[in-house]
Amino acid sequence: MTAYSTIGKSIPKIDVKEKVTGRALYAADLKMPGMLYGKIVRCLDHAHARVLKLDLSVAAKMPGVVKVLGPDDIKAHSYNTGVLDLMVPEPVGKMLGDIEDQTVFTKHVKHQGDAICGIIAHSEEAAERAAEKVIVEYEPLPVYLTAEESMQPDAVQFTSLKPGNRAFQLPGEMFPNNAYGWGNVDEAMAAADFVVEDTFYVPKQKQCQMEPHAYIALFDDGGRLQCWTSTQMPKCVHIKLARMFDLPMSRVTVTQTVIGGGFGARLGMIGEPLACAMAMAVPGRPVKVLYTREEDWIASESRHPGKYWMKIGFSKDGAPVAVDALFRSYKGGYYTQGSGVAFTTGSWLGGMYKWGSCRYHGETYYTNHAPCGAYRGYGNPQTNFVMEQLVERACSKLGVDPVEWRKKWHKGVGDDGWCPGVTYPSCALDECLDRGAAAIGWTEKRAKYANQTGVKRRGVGVSVMNHTSGAFPMLLEHTTCTARLNEDATAEIMLACSDMGQGAHTALQQIAAEALGFRFEDIHIKAGDSDSNGFDIGAHASRTIYVGGAAVKSACEDARKELFARAAQYLECTVEQLTMRDKIIYLEGASNRSISAQEICARGVYNFVDAASGQRTGIPGQIQGYSSFLPTSNSPPFAACFAEVEIDTETGELTLIELVNAHDVGKAIHPASVEGNLEGGAQQGMGFALTEEIYYDKNGLCLNNSFTDYKMLGPSDMPKLTTILVENPDPLGPFGAKSAGEAGIVAPIGAVANAVFHALGIQIIEAPITAEKILEAIKKNGGV
Amino acid sequence: MSSRVLPDFELLMPKDLGEGLQLLSRHGSDVAIMAGGTDVLVMMKANYRSPYVMSLAGIGGLDHLDWAPETGLRVGALTTVDQIEQSGAVKQHYRALWQAATLFATPQIRNSATVIGNLLRASPAGDCSCAVLALGGTVVLESVDGRREVAIDDFWLDYNLTARRPDEIAVELRLPPPGKGTGSAFRRLTRTHEDLAKLNASARLDVDGKICRTARLAMGCVGPTTQRLPKCEAILVGKAIDEALLKTLDDVIQSEIAPIDDKRSTAEYRRAVAGVLLRRTISQALAD
Ligand SMILES: Cc1cc2nc3c(=O)[nH]c(=O)nc-3n(C[C@H](O)[C@H](O)[C@H](O)COP(=O)(O)OP(=O)(O)OC[C@H]3O[C@@H](n4cnc5c(N)ncnc54)[C@H](O)[C@@H]3O)c2cc1C
Repeated sequence: MTAYSTIGKSIPKIDVKEKVTGRALYAADLKMPGMLYGKIVRCLDHAHARVLKLDLSVAAKMPGVVKVLGPDDIKAHSYNTGVLDLMVPEPVGKMLGDIEDQTVFTKHVKHQGDAICGIIAHSEEAAERAAEKVIVEYEPLPVYLTAEESMQPDAVQFTSLKPGNRAFQLPGEMFPNNAYGWGNVDEAMAAADFVVEDTFYVPKQKQCQMEPHAYIALFDDGGRLQCWTSTQMPKCVHIKLARMFDLPMSRVTVTQTVIGGGFGARLGMIGEPLACAMAMAVPGRPVKVLYTREEDWIASESRHPGKYWMKIGFSKDGAPVAVDALFRSYKGGYYTQGSGVAFTTGSWLGGMYKWGSCRYHGETYYTNHAPCGAYRGYGNPQTNFVMEQLVERACSKLGVDPVEWRKKWHKGVGDDGWCPGVTYPSCALDECLDRGAAAIGWTEKRAKYANQTGVKRRGVGVSVMNHTSGAFPMLLEHTTCTARLNEDATAEIMLACSDMGQGAHTALQQIAAEALGFRFEDIHIKAGDSDSNGFDIGAHASRTIYVGGAAVKSACEDARKELFARAAQYLECTVEQLTMRDKIIYLEGASNRSISAQEICARGVYNFVDAASGQRTGIPGQIQGYSSFLPTSNSPPFAACFAEVEIDTETGELTLIELVNAHDVGKAIHPASVEGNLEGGAQQGMGFALTEEIYYDKNGLCLNNSFTDYKMLGPSDMPKLTTILVENPDPLGPFGAKSAGEAGIVAPIGAVANAVFHALGIQIIEAPITAEKILEAIKKNGGV
Repeated sequence: MSSRVLPDFELLMPKDLGEGLQLLSRHGSDVAIMAGGTDVLVMMKANYRSPYVMSLAGIGGLDHLDWAPETGLRVGALTTVDQIEQSGAVKQHYRALWQAATLFATPQIRNSATVIGNLLRASPAGDCSCAVLALGGTVVLESVDGRREVAIDDFWLDYNLTARRPDEIAVELRLPPPGKGTGSAFRRLTRTHEDLAKLNASARLDVDGKICRTARLAMGCVGPTTQRLPKCEAILVGKAIDEALLKTLDDVIQSEIAPIDDKRSTAEYRRAVAGVLLRRTISQALAD
């Protein structure tokens, strides 16, 4: 293995001190001279309604109020909080049916929490008091909480652009018969020796990032629109705001504040359009907009829930000859990431096993929920819950060991990945399965729990997953990076990649140090400033290390190349003869001849004309490396997860005993961060499986819009957790790295569900698997 | 929908009990009393309005926790759930209350939440409330006109409604000393560990040899208030408690509960597991 100086070391994260001391400044902490507060008045009592009358006159006269704004006061284009418009060529966007159906304030309320008007005041208190005086009259409309309701021919249309309220289905132009896949599924299914089939329900899960959304916006005296936001996509927000307010990008600045978690909640725009629209109304005054947790809940995006039907056909020898699936999701009130999840949910399915034939239909219908968007895994959790339970059912029919079946039938190197035509460059899933199975004691426990009696039943389950590292080739993959060497031979690395707490900036700093041959502490990452940072598509699709890291590596190699070229000139030799140790460049074999990187850098910057000779004192110019990096693959990571649970058959209560999550990470740049990401993912995955769901009353009003009644697993709910990093360097990723950002959430879902099956012999096909559902299933089964 | 901005109110900060009682006699039902504030503040952020909020924080001498074999346990109005958890005497003599305190919320909340606040909130999901109802005892209420004691059995009138008059402060909770052979227990079912109860139960049993002399059984989330289960109690009294006897409670309890349907669980589920929880709580009390 290559010996690295910083890669592979868990050095303290660069933001750890400010975070643990509480000194990190989040957008909500920022105050500016002359700052005003913007309050968004939301519709709280209806999930579907038309605004008949909006009277702001009383509110406008309240003490401290500077301005009130209704829908007609806003001069901005309609928009779409998603980012597909930036990620695919326009004709493809058109074909996919990407539309801009959102406005800053609305007259047609499509979900509880839709924004009606805004109040700008001198204090948050004054804005709140005035908000209470806004008079709105509504005409309630029928509320649709499932696709099956909103697709009815007589249903109220959410937008004239989407007849039948179908926000998206795979377009026939790209996918014949609106399906993704290959082979003749009907024939293969008919010829199968047996099939397993069911319709599952997957829940509306919330990202629950710690920091509620908060913004400051300012339309400054120079006519520039500035926005401080913890977005995970600063450059996308930059251009989207410019387009929305008809400003050139040179007159828009996005300053990224410390991000208190993202998990997809900050993918694209959220409240930026509202904060900026308010700021545009009061030029010269910064306007701060703070969401409460409940507002974050009802007015920002979540995971796509819905019904997920799947049928898998097998031959007697266990070959999965056909898979057929339909995921029909409930979009919520706006289009936003309408096409993304409906598509990827099928890609993860297609990429996992050697299906003889495959057909996946993905569609999504408008409903009166808060809109769905991106959440860690982007469709993969849904597929894992469904596919892995059906595979488990088949294994039990076949009488084969679920680990062995998976080893035999998962895709690997050379097979098509989630995107047909892009093959897997590396795969260490077998090792993940072997090491995970050994760690949990798979064979012994499967046998031991086979014939249990008594109230408490144990079970162990397994699940596998594949994910991606960046969205190539479906979506634009591009990061630019500038590596500027200072005159003291330290480096400023400038790029727009986001650190959302996942440790990206620390790992990128390691990559820079390694690629330059400098020390870790010689590097500074300058991100979060849309003026000085070049393009980066943003933190999504687990791309930051794979693509952003490759951009950093390439920019640093570019700078290092120039450094070595100058050294060769100074030392009068060729570049190939040079080596660098401790930032001193030596001419090999003649170690008395050397020059320090510091001297080269300094002489480039402090480049004088020598009075005596009239010659320059060195090779002129500050060294700057650059990369505009576009990857050519997506090196998917794989994982195998093992879970052990104990179920109380009298109460249906489930205790998580142990979870082993073995991941094929390629190479862990910063192992502690990778483990942290995977552990956090496991917590969210187990939450998906067991406790997490946003739910609504029949009128579409959210019943659990805070942590009181939306239950995530807390520290005391977590099982013994073992994370195994399987390092098998990927040939394409920077230093062999594959992604580890989203991946952790996926496989625990199927593993927990399958452990329940092992414990009870019953499958629960609706997530989350609550005590109530377990007890009911036991009762239906006539006991266990 | 919560807000970071509290509604307008006037904060009253009496320096002693006398002043507090005077303020109450003047403003009565316009006052929200605040002990630890873990209920009151949450409610105020979510639109609950009261012209006055009277904090008990400035009143000295209300955070006592006194135990004596003859008189039992005295819990002051500012005594926190954490104090209960830390108390060896409570752990030894009032196991149900101690168990409720250890399962209660999170350390941060336990540090400010009071036991009396839990009783006064009069929620059918109150954990300390459930334990206190099983243990039996009285709440001491004081006004400018003097003190009175109300038995815990008579304390909750309805959801969020107690026997306290608007001019009274609850100054103390008194629990009787346990007898020889007294054991108690508390259990609850929740969605995650750190949660409010879906269902909670508490039992206090006085056992002579093998025979159950008296039984006090309490359950929460099965009606508008935490309630006793007199029919189940009657089954146990005078008998040796064994598995077979406990099993009969599964049916008996059905006629004395009317479980609630809410965000935390369904009435159907609560009904299905009420007997199980009760049996387990009784067994745990017997083992105490
Ligand atoms: C995150 C969180 C978790 C929680 N978990 C639990 C849990 O696990 N189990 C549980 O049972 N509860 C739980 N609660 C609810 C709450 O903590 C308890 O009800 C607590 O005991 C209330 O005590 P307090 O001192 O904070 O009361 P306060 O909020 O100060 O008051 C509660 C009520 O009692 C009244 N009151 C208080 N003291 C007096 C007095 N001396 N005289 C007259 N009236 C008075 C108040 O006016 C108010 O109506 C939780 C709350 C939160 C915020």
